[in-house]
Amino acid sequence: MRALLLKLEPMIWFMFGQGIMIGTMLLTGWILVVGLLVPMGIVDADALSYERAHALATSRLFGFIPIGQLVLAALLVLPLWKAAHHVRSMAIDFGGGERDGLVGSLLYAVAMVGSVVAIIRVVAL
Amino acid sequence: MAGPAHPEAMAPPKPGRTRTAPPQMPSTWWKTSRIRTYLLFDATGFVYFLIAFLAISLIGDLAASSSANTQPWDAAMARLQNPLYIAFHLLCLVSVIFVAVRFFRLFPKAQPPSIGPIKPPPGSVIHATLYVIWIGITLVMSLALAGVIF
Repeated sequence: MRALLLKLEPMIWFMFGQGIMIGTMLLTGWILVVGLLVPMGIVDADALSYERAHALATSRLFGFIPIGQLVLAALLVLPLWKAAHHVRSMAIDFGGGERDGLVGSLLYAVAMVGSVVAIIRVVAL
Repeated sequence: MAGPAHPEAMAPPKPGRTRTAPPQMPSTWWKTSRIRTYLLFDATGFVYFLIAFLAISLIGDLAASSSANTQPWDAAMARLQNPLYIAFHLLCLVSVIFVAVRFFRLFPKAQPPSIGPIKPPPGSVIHATLYVIWIGITLVMSLALAGVIF
């Protein structure tokens, strides 16, 4: 298990790096508006009515680049990998490296399953 | 190169009498501010898991709705008005800002001295560029989601 994680290390670090960089950059605006300003009534709820939310999520750049779905996919998938890697790191700090193979594999499996579900949902829009 | 190196290639075939002690968290970790900050940075992983799964659930509700039946999406948006969700999103906002500030400070230090013949720009330039991109993306995302643009 641990040997497999070592072999997958470049891919894991790539996804972790993108999660911490792109995921964080995309999440800030999402949390601000979807999680705070609209629910608190500071921004009109019509901004995220079904019609407008769906139109934004399925918007296309130059008529053919599915920019809405690409941004959504990155926003949903990348933070999962940042999360898995940091929780794994915390598990090593507190529990040592002996169970790292199992804990790491489980965390990346959660990130992988979450990524697949997210992509299926984004494609279904 | 014949192939990838075996991860345990340098390990002795049998454990010797003396071995390197495995790294252990000091028992007084909570007294050291650097370790506390480092662990807090790691702990944002839990927040990122929760916010990502909540966002995936929201997009599921959007995908499950249609012009004829907007109920799943409307119910999801109504749920977000619960004070617990608002408190959670405040925690998320603090977490992403903390991650961004710490990671952007770390990023210039992690650059290689050169990539081929190209040398990376000074750390302060990289640092400032990351902030400009972050603020720019946040501004565009926020204005788009709030209905001000697009």
